[in-house]
Amino acid sequence: MPLPLEGPIQYDRVKGTKISKPARNVVQQAYVKDVAEGIAITLRHFFKNTKEMIRNERPDAVTDAIADGVTTLEYPFQKRPYPERFRGVHRLTLREDGSPRCVACFCCSTACPAQCIYIEAGEYPDGDRRRGYEKYPVKFVIDELRCIFCGFCVEACPCDAIRMDTGMHPQPYDSRDQFVFGKSLLMSFAGADGTQQSQNPRVEPGEKGFPGITRLAGHH
Amino acid sequence: MTTVTILAALLKILVVVGFGFTLAAVLTWAERRQSAMMQDRFGPNRASFKLFGKEIRLAGLVHVAADGLKFFFKEDFVPPNADKLLHALAPMLSLFPPVVLMAVVPFGDTLCLDQLRNGHTWAAVERFGTCTTAPSSTALPAVPLQVFDTNVGILYIFALAGMGIVGATIAGWSSDNKFSVLGGLRAASQLVSYEVAMGLSLVGAFMVYGTVRLDEMARWQGEHVWGIFVQPLGFLLFWAASLAESKRTPFDMPEGESEIVAGHLVEYSGMKFGMFYFGEYIEIVVSSALLVAIFLGGYNLPFLHRDGFTVTFAGAAWHQTLPHLVVILMQALTFFGKVMVLCWFQLFFRWTLPRFRYDQVMKFGWRMLLPATLANVFLTGVVVLAIDRAGERLASRLALVADGLNLLVAALIVFAFIRVVVGMIVPSGPPTRAGVPETPQAA
Amino acid sequence: MPTIKLDGRDIPFEKGDTIIRAAWRQGLEIPHYCWHPGLSVAANCRMCLVEIERPGGRQMMLDVLHWDEKRGDYVPSKKPKLEPACQIECMEGMNVKSESSAFVADARKHVQEYLLLNHPVDCAICDQAGECKLQDYWLKEQRAPKRMLDEIIHKPKGVSFGPTIVYDAERCIVCTRCVRFMEEIAKDPVLDKRERGNLGEIVLSPGRQLEGKYTMMVDQVCPVGALTTKDFRFKARVWFLRKVETVCPGCATGCNAWLDYDPRTGEVPRLRPRDNLAVNQFWMCDDGIMTHKRVQSARVATATVGRGKDRKQAAPSAAFKAAADLLRGAKGVGIVLSAQRSTEDNFTLAYFARTFLGVNDFHLAGLASWDGDAILRDTDRNPNTRGATAVAGGAVRPISELTEPVVSGQVPVVLALGGQVDLDDVTAGALGRAKLIVLSDCETPLTKMADVVLPIASWAEQDGSFVNRQGVEQPFVAGPKPVGDALPGWDSLVRLAKQAGHPLDWKRIKDVRKAMGGPVGRSSAQPATPDAAPAAE
Repeated sequence: MPLPLEGPIQYDRVKGTKISKPARNVVQQAYVKDVAEGIAITLRHFFKNTKEMIRNERPDAVTDAIADGVTTLEYPFQKRPYPERFRGVHRLTLREDGSPRCVACFCCSTACPAQCIYIEAGEYPDGDRRRGYEKYPVKFVIDELRCIFCGFCVEACPCDAIRMDTGMHPQPYDSRDQFVFGKSLLMSFAGADGTQQSQNPRVEPGEKGFPGITRLAGHH
Repeated sequence: MTTVTILAALLKILVVVGFGFTLAAVLTWAERRQSAMMQDRFGPNRASFKLFGKEIRLAGLVHVAADGLKFFFKEDFVPPNADKLLHALAPMLSLFPPVVLMAVVPFGDTLCLDQLRNGHTWAAVERFGTCTTAPSSTALPAVPLQVFDTNVGILYIFALAGMGIVGATIAGWSSDNKFSVLGGLRAASQLVSYEVAMGLSLVGAFMVYGTVRLDEMARWQGEHVWGIFVQPLGFLLFWAASLAESKRTPFDMPEGESEIVAGHLVEYSGMKFGMFYFGEYIEIVVSSALLVAIFLGGYNLPFLHRDGFTVTFAGAAWHQTLPHLVVILMQALTFFGKVMVLCWFQLFFRWTLPRFRYDQVMKFGWRMLLPATLANVFLTGVVVLAIDRAGERLASRLALVADGLNLLVAALIVFAFIRVVVGMIVPSGPPTRAGVPETPQAA
Repeated sequence: MPTIKLDGRDIPFEKGDTIIRAAWRQGLEIPHYCWHPGLSVAANCRMCLVEIERPGGRQMMLDVLHWDEKRGDYVPSKKPKLEPACQIECMEGMNVKSESSAFVADARKHVQEYLLLNHPVDCAICDQAGECKLQDYWLKEQRAPKRMLDEIIHKPKGVSFGPTIVYDAERCIVCTRCVRFMEEIAKDPVLDKRERGNLGEIVLSPGRQLEGKYTMMVDQVCPVGALTTKDFRFKARVWFLRKVETVCPGCATGCNAWLDYDPRTGEVPRLRPRDNLAVNQFWMCDDGIMTHKRVQSARVATATVGRGKDRKQAAPSAAFKAAADLLRGAKGVGIVLSAQRSTEDNFTLAYFARTFLGVNDFHLAGLASWDGDAILRDTDRNPNTRGATAVAGGAVRPISELTEPVVSGQVPVVLALGGQVDLDDVTAGALGRAKLIVLSDCETPLTKMADVVLPIASWAEQDGSFVNRQGVEQPFVAGPKPVGDALPGWDSLVRLAKQAGHPLDWKRIKDVRKAMGGPVGRSSAQPATPDAAPAAE
C-alpha cells in the first residue's frame, strides 16, 4: 500500500538567465580562425611539454598532481597515496575470538548491483562456544572480477562485518577462478590500519545487551 | 632505354618508397607520442631492447618495430561468412594507391648526368632550361628526379586517389558485419564527395602554372613564388579535401569509433589491419608531398636556383654559384624536410579538432567546399586574364612582390628554426601550478 | 444482505461475522496479528482496534486529558473508545472507521511501539524478514524510532521445540496463534503460554515435544519470526524467492500451495499453504510441506540407455531414438499411467497409446497408501489418481495386473510414465523381463530396471493439473526451469511419438488441453479467499 503523501508536492519554479546564442558570421562559419586557434593551443602544449621532456624539467607526478605539464604517473614505479576512504579489496572483519563478525544476513548480497557475493548461511553446532552467534556464513564468496567496487555492500552491512578499507586492489592473477575470494582469504586481510577487527564495538554473548541469554542469567 | 636510365629509375623508386615507408612508420610513433605531448602525458615509451646489457628505448621509437612484430604474430581472423577473397584483397587495395601516388611527385630538379662527366663533377649548370647537351648515343641521359615522368601529371593522382574508395568499401562489404557495411558505405560516399572538391580545388593552380605536370609546377614556383601565395584559397581547400580523403579525425566517419565501432575495420586483425593502418599514414605522407609539390614550392628553397643562390631584390642582386650536385642534394633534402614538417603539422589536426557529424561532413563537402572551389576557379580565371592583359609594368611590380614574398619566407624559415632551437635550450621558468591561486604569503 | 460501513464503503456480512472477517471477505485488511481466519478469536494483540459508531449514532466516548500546546496545559477532552475489530460482531448500520480515523492510527502506532518494545530487532538474521508483519506494520503504521532507552527483556533464543520447529522467545509477540492452531486444528494442545506481559512466552507441555503431522504449520501461522522451521532455517532470504501457484503432490487431497523458488539457482526451499476454503482452507501437513524436497532429491537429470550395469548416460536425441526403436519393433506395448503425474501428461500418453499404438487397456502406477486422517491427509498418497483414471476412459488396472501379459510374452515392451512409484516384488520381477521405457522425474524402482529412461520435469517445473479426491481439477504453474535435459512430461511424449514416426504436433500445454476437450474434473474456480487477503497467513 503506497504511503500517504502529506499535501500536494511543491516544485520550485526554475529561475534562469537567458544565454545569447553564438554568432553565426562568415568568420565562424569558415572555421579557419577557430582551427588556427585550436592548433595554436595544441602547438603550445606540444612545444612546452617536449621541451620539458628533453630538459627533464617536468613536475613531480606524485606530489604535484595538478601542476601544468606532464604529470603522468609511471605506475609500477611511482604510486600516488590512496585517499583514506579508498575502496579496495573487501575484507571480513573479525570478532575478538577470530570468528567472522558476519551473520550471513545477505544484505550485502542483496544490495550488490553486480551480484558478485555468494553466501551460504549456517549455525554453529550445539555445544559450540559460539552457538550464541546464531547465524554465520558457512561460505562467503566474492567474485572480485564481477565486483564494481561501488561499496554498497559496506553500506548495507548491519554488523560492520564487510569493509573495503584494505587499501589494496586485487592483484593480477593468471586465471579467473583466482579472483574468486573465499571466506578464509577475505578474513585474512587486515584493514589499512593493520587491524583485522573493526573500530565499532560489538556486543558479544554473555555481555550486557546481547540478545538470547537465558532467563535465569538475566537481569530482570 | 639505357642501363643508366633503368638503374636511375630503380634508385629513385628505392628513395621514394623508402622515404614514404620510413616516414609512415615513424608517423605511427609520432602520432602517439606527439598527441601525448599535446595532452600532457607520456605516450608510448616502454618498448625497449637490450644492447650490451643496456636498455635502449629511443624515446619510444622501438614501438614501431614492436607494433610491426605484433601485427605479424596476431591471429588473422576472418569472419566465417565473409567473402574470403575480397576480405584479403581489401587491405592491399587500400595500401596500393597511396604508395604508387608518390611516383609522380618530383623530389628534385632534373639531374644532368652528362654535364658531370669528365672532371666536371663539381661544376655548376645553367640557371634556366634543362640539361643543354644535345642527345647523342654516348651522352648520359638527363634524369628527372621523379619516378614516373608523365605528362598527365596530376590527372594520374586523381585517378589513383579515387581507388582509395575501393579498398575501404570492399573491406566493409566483405566483412559480413553490419558495422562494416555502414563504414564501407560511409567511406564510399565521403571519399566520392571530397574527390570532387579535391579535383576542382587544383584547377586554379593549373591555370596559374599553365601545366598539369608536377615537375613544371615545382619549377614555376622556383622561378616565381610559392603556390600558396598565388592560390591561398586553393591551398586551404585542397588541404581540407585531402584531410577528408585520408579518413582521419575530424573526418573519420568510416571508422566512426563512437558510432560504428571501427566501421570497415571491425573484422580486420593482424597484419591485414596493419596494412589499413599503414596505408593511412602513407596517405598522410602523400598528401603532404602533394601539398609541398603544388603549393609549398616543391623542392625549392627561396633564392636557390639551378646554378646556386641568387638573391635579387628590387634590382640589387647577390649571387653565389653552387655545384650542380650540391644543388640537387639540397633540393632533395629540402623536399623531404618540407614533407616531414608538414606531416608533423598535419598530425595536429587529428588531436585538435572535434569530429564532425556525418551529415555535417556531407554538407561541408557539397555545400561549402564545392562552391568555394568553383568560386576559386572563376576568381583565378579573372585575375590571370587581368594580369595577362595588364602589360609589362604590372608584371615587373608583381616580380618585385614575389621577391619580397620569397624574402619573407626565407626570413620566416630562419626565424622559426632559431626560435625552436633556442626555445628548447633556454630553461623554462619556475613551474606554475594551474588552478591554484598564488597567495601573497607564498610569494 | 445486511451491510456495515467501513471507511465509507458498504461491506456486506453474514450473520455472526466479526468486522475483521467481513472486511477480509471483501479483500480489505484491518491490521492484525493474533486474528487468523481459520482460528478462534483471541483479541490479544490489540492491533485491530477500530472506531465504531453503532446505529443511531451511538458511540462510546472516554474522558481524557489532552495536551494543549498553546495553553501549555492538559485540557479535558473526549475520545472514542476503540474496540477490537476481530471480536465485535457486525450489526446492520454499523459505521466503522479504520483507515479514516486519526484515533485508530494513533492507537496502532502505540500498539506497534509496545509490541516492538522488547523486540531484539535482529531482522538481519531472522528468516521472517521480508514477510514479517512487524516490519510491514512498522513501516505502515509506526515509522518512528524506539523511544525506550532501557535494556530490553531478554528471553531464550533458538529453542528447539521438536524435530521441525525452532522457537525464539525474544521475537515472539505472544499472539497465541500457534497455541490455537495446535489446539483447534491439529487437535494436539501441546503448546501454551506462560507468564504475563513482558515476560510472556510460548512453552511446551511438560515432557512433550512439538511433534505430529501438523507441526510446521505453526511456522506459517506465526506472524513474526518467533517460530521457524528447521527445514527452511537460514536456507534463503525470502526476497530472493519468487512464488508460483502450485498444488501439493503429497496426497489425493491436493492442498493448494505456493511454490517458493530461487530463480537464480532453481532451488525450491519451501512450500507454503495457499488459501482455498473448498480444499485445504489455510493448512497443509508436514509431509505436504516437505514435498518441496522432491524437486531436488534423486532426480533423473539426463537420459540413460541400458539397464543395470550397462546403464549409460545418453544424449536426449539418442535416448529418444532408442525408445522409438523399441516401440516400433514391438508386437504389443503395455502402457503404465502414473497417478503422480499431471492429467496432461497422462492424457498425452493415453492418446499416444490409443491412437498410434492401438492399446486400449491402461495400467496405473503410484505410491502405496498410507495413514490418512480426518484433517487433511488422504489415505491415497497419489495426487492424481482420479485424473489418470479419467483420461484412461474411466477404468485402469493396477500395475500388478501387467505381470501376466509380460510373463506370457504378450507384452514385450512396456512404456511407463514414471514419477514416484511403489512396486511389489512380483510385479517388479515380471516387469524386469519386458523391455521397459520409463519417463521419470526421479529415480524409482522402475527407472532402475528400465532400458531407456527419459528425464521429465517434476511437477514444480511444468504446467499441469491434478484432479483431487473431490474431483476438483486444480492447475499448477511451472516454477524453476527443469533440471538437466528434462522436458515436461507431455512434451517428452510428443517428441517420442514424433521420433517413432507418428504425427503428433502439440507444441504447448494449450494444445494438449485443447485435445483433451475440456476439464477432466470439476472446475477449480472456487470462492476461496479474496485475492488481497495476505498470502502469508
